Amino acid sequence: MARLKEIVGPTYVLTRPEDVVVYEQDAFLVARALPDIVVLPGSTAEVAGVVRLVHEAGVPLVVRGAGTGLNGGSIPIAGGVMLVLTRMNRIVELDPRNRLAVVEPGAINVDVTAAAAQHGLFYAPDPGSQTVSTIGGNVGNNAGGPHCLSYGVTGNHVLAMEVVLASGDVTWVGSRSADHPGYDLCGVVVGSEGTLGVVTAIVVKLLRKSQAVRTLLAAFETIDDASQTVSEVIAAGIVPTAMEMMDGVVMAAVEAAIHAGYPQDAGAALLIEVEGHPESLPRQMKRIEEICRAHAPRMLRTAASEQERLLLWKGRKEGAGALGRLAPSYYLHDGVVPRAKLPDVMRKVVEVGKAYGLSIGNLFHAGDGNLHPIILFNPREPGIMDKVVRAGEEILRACVEAGGTITGEHGVGIEKREYMRWMFSDADLMAMQRVKRSFDPDGIMNPGKLLPVGERPDVTVRPAMAAGMWT
Amino acid sequence: MTIDADRLANRLEGALGSAVQRDPATLRAHAVDGLVPHIRCAPEDTSQLSAALRICGESGAAVIPWGGGTAMHWGNPPTHADVVVSLERLNRLVEHDDANLTATVQAGMSVAPLQDLLAARRQFLAIDPPDPRHSTIGGTVAANINGPRRLAYGGVRDLVIGMKMVLASGEPIKAGGKVVKNVAGYDMCKLFVGSLGTLGIITEVTFKMAPLPETFGTIVARGSLAQAAHLIDALFASALTPAAVTVVGGDVATAAGLEAAEASLAIWAEGFEEAVARHVRDIQTMAGQLGLATEMLDGVAHHRVWETVRDFGADGASPAVFRVSVPLAAVTGVLAVALGVTAGRPLRYVAHAGTGTVWLALDDPGLVAAWFPRLVALAQEYHGHAVLVAAPPAVKQTVDVWGPPPQALALMQELKRQFDPRGVLNPGRFVARI
Repeated sequence: MARLKEIVGPTYVLTRPEDVVVYEQDAFLVARALPDIVVLPGSTAEVAGVVRLVHEAGVPLVVRGAGTGLNGGSIPIAGGVMLVLTRMNRIVELDPRNRLAVVEPGAINVDVTAAAAQHGLFYAPDPGSQTVSTIGGNVGNNAGGPHCLSYGVTGNHVLAMEVVLASGDVTWVGSRSADHPGYDLCGVVVGSEGTLGVVTAIVVKLLRKSQAVRTLLAAFETIDDASQTVSEVIAAGIVPTAMEMMDGVVMAAVEAAIHAGYPQDAGAALLIEVEGHPESLPRQMKRIEEICRAHAPRMLRTAASEQERLLLWKGRKEGAGALGRLAPSYYLHDGVVPRAKLPDVMRKVVEVGKAYGLSIGNLFHAGDGNLHPIILFNPREPGIMDKVVRAGEEILRACVEAGGTITGEHGVGIEKREYMRWMFSDADLMAMQRVKRSFDPDGIMNPGKLLPVGERPDVTVRPAMAAGMWT
Repeated sequence: MTIDADRLANRLEGALGSAVQRDPATLRAHAVDGLVPHIRCAPEDTSQLSAALRICGESGAAVIPWGGGTAMHWGNPPTHADVVVSLERLNRLVEHDDANLTATVQAGMSVAPLQDLLAARRQFLAIDPPDPRHSTIGGTVAANINGPRRLAYGGVRDLVIGMKMVLASGEPIKAGGKVVKNVAGYDMCKLFVGSLGTLGIITEVTFKMAPLPETFGTIVARGSLAQAAHLIDALFASALTPAAVTVVGGDVATAAGLEAAEASLAIWAEGFEEAVARHVRDIQTMAGQLGLATEMLDGVAHHRVWETVRDFGADGASPAVFRVSVPLAAVTGVLAVALGVTAGRPLRYVAHAGTGTVWLALDDPGLVAAWFPRLVALAQEYHGHAVLVAAPPAVKQTVDVWGPPPQALALMQELKRQFDPRGVLNPGRFVARI
């Protein structure tokens, strides 16, 4: 303890119960555990010092950013030391000519885009949490977002990283230039959920903003019509920058909350956005509208102004928050299916809801086949959590059976570590273990996360639940 | 380790039957940097490949994975080359899920026949390796071979979403899947892309597809290198989204069917007709303002330019080939310095301005010893790196072709130990002779 205080200063080492309790949870609201010590380092050197000390002591180390993670990945289930990187939040360098930025892990996602905007550039990954979540956390979970459909996920936008290894040694992986010789360790560390090292600096790609954007809202009678439309747009060889779906449950809640102009009684709506040169957009929009029309839309509306566009998006971005109107709590899921399977799997989601007597809302990245079923429930109802978990598992199994995956952008954490076996053989998982051992032979980095440990995580529910989770 | 080739061949024949070859001409044709293997085998499926790797592992025989043989000049000379394992019989398109914009392909399939099949459903794989009739999917992914359109579509690492591989132990594993977003566990695909067959042998890859563009064309601007640099700056400051932006120099222009110039900047535009027309118009205006002459190419002339660019440095025509990778804005600066260093000696180059990749070819391999360290130092000034991509074996023996060891070398060595503890896969060829 004394040595920790020497490294980061006494103010930045927390041990009193009322201080560390703040860090017992992330946005996976159904599990919690207290860290023994919370440390808030201010530099790479401090992180390295702390990690070296933790390594010597042989205790678990859990890294945390803003705590918006949805898989319980930053819950210190084995206690130990928690490193909170929110003080390291500088944008260290902005290099518009090379279209890159160097940021500290605690930098907020949206601040990077804000800083780049003066040069006509932006940082592409846009998770729902982007106004509060950190780049370090985005990297840890390989975060996605609505516009990943054409731009790709976090891993496609990270060029290089400074990493403090479990030994306390500091190294760079990747490079500002393409094709860094050697294994693509940068690609491996992205999405590793804090189990391989502590990322202390990140070089991200910046993209040039498109000259024009068109946004279309299409409302349909049924989820099926909307799902078919998504499949057909992709099959027609059109890749919009975003194609988001919202079902009737969510739409009604959103409309009541923010009055974005969504029809309240439609079965589902799609928010479709295309970007590019102003000359080429009208014809693309026309083709998309034609595909929509074949499914008898209740409403087709193109945003006439930037203000209207932002309002349509506001409904999407605040959709999950609006669900607080419908139920005291919800469980947000994340699965992916091949896009042609979307209609089938969406039907399955509806069936599961009926079978378990649960109301399920859907608000998700349809263009990627990335589902986010949101199971609504009242935590005061006895035995409800078990039902909610089982319904969720059935949906995720349907995703896997359709050739998809258990998580598209939220990560595995503790939530889905045992589900990994649905997709991967012992040999596949052993290969991942080999990676883990190479980086962290003593297993101190975020133990019990990402890989199966053979027992279900301890999922419990407390009546008091915070609203406003992220999708 | 010396191996008993007869005994090994017998064991392999027991497992693979007629798929094991030992005739001298075949073996000579599969030499790697002058090292002639003892045995070549071509497993017909994953289980035969597993058996072959298990047997080689038990004998301590060095295994050289072989696709189309178009990237065998990459890497340091192997320390041993006992058994060449060809993927030629794993050559099927497993599934083209066009409605999902993905395709799953066996590693030994060549790129050109794959593109033909994909084109029948108006899609393509947006990777342009050299010599696509021979380049295979597995080789392209293992060697991380990228082409000019990486600017628009991303690199191999961005397009691969799933993979099957067989480890040195013979154990088959898989990674990723067939969905475009997937964060279940470590991204093992990234580990294997560009690992040059040193961690396992890739048997199948699933890629994101792209729709075939409605139309395409190339604008060529000719002038001085300085003028080309200004045009590149103007282009990247604009809202244009070209598929490729490439400077060619030396006699590359002639080979590409272009008029000779100090520098020729070729800009590939593709997509919707309106967007391509806009590119042509805007780029001609920008080039005119900067004093460059332009011409518009389509059809055969367009293809000839990009085939020349694509095949540059991989056709065996140049005795020494370097790849210098730098951040985007440093490309023309690197070219200017490189041209200054050669001081009039023939230097051919192809430089991808949008991805920071500069390819240089020299006719005199005797210059490598003097040149390579200078290129490495030059690249490092810009946070970049230089690789000696091809050179005669005697020259390659004198350097590490990958340049100075990467900072994270210890981690890479540990990964190699974890995946291939006996060091039988492509021994010595990768960074720091891993």
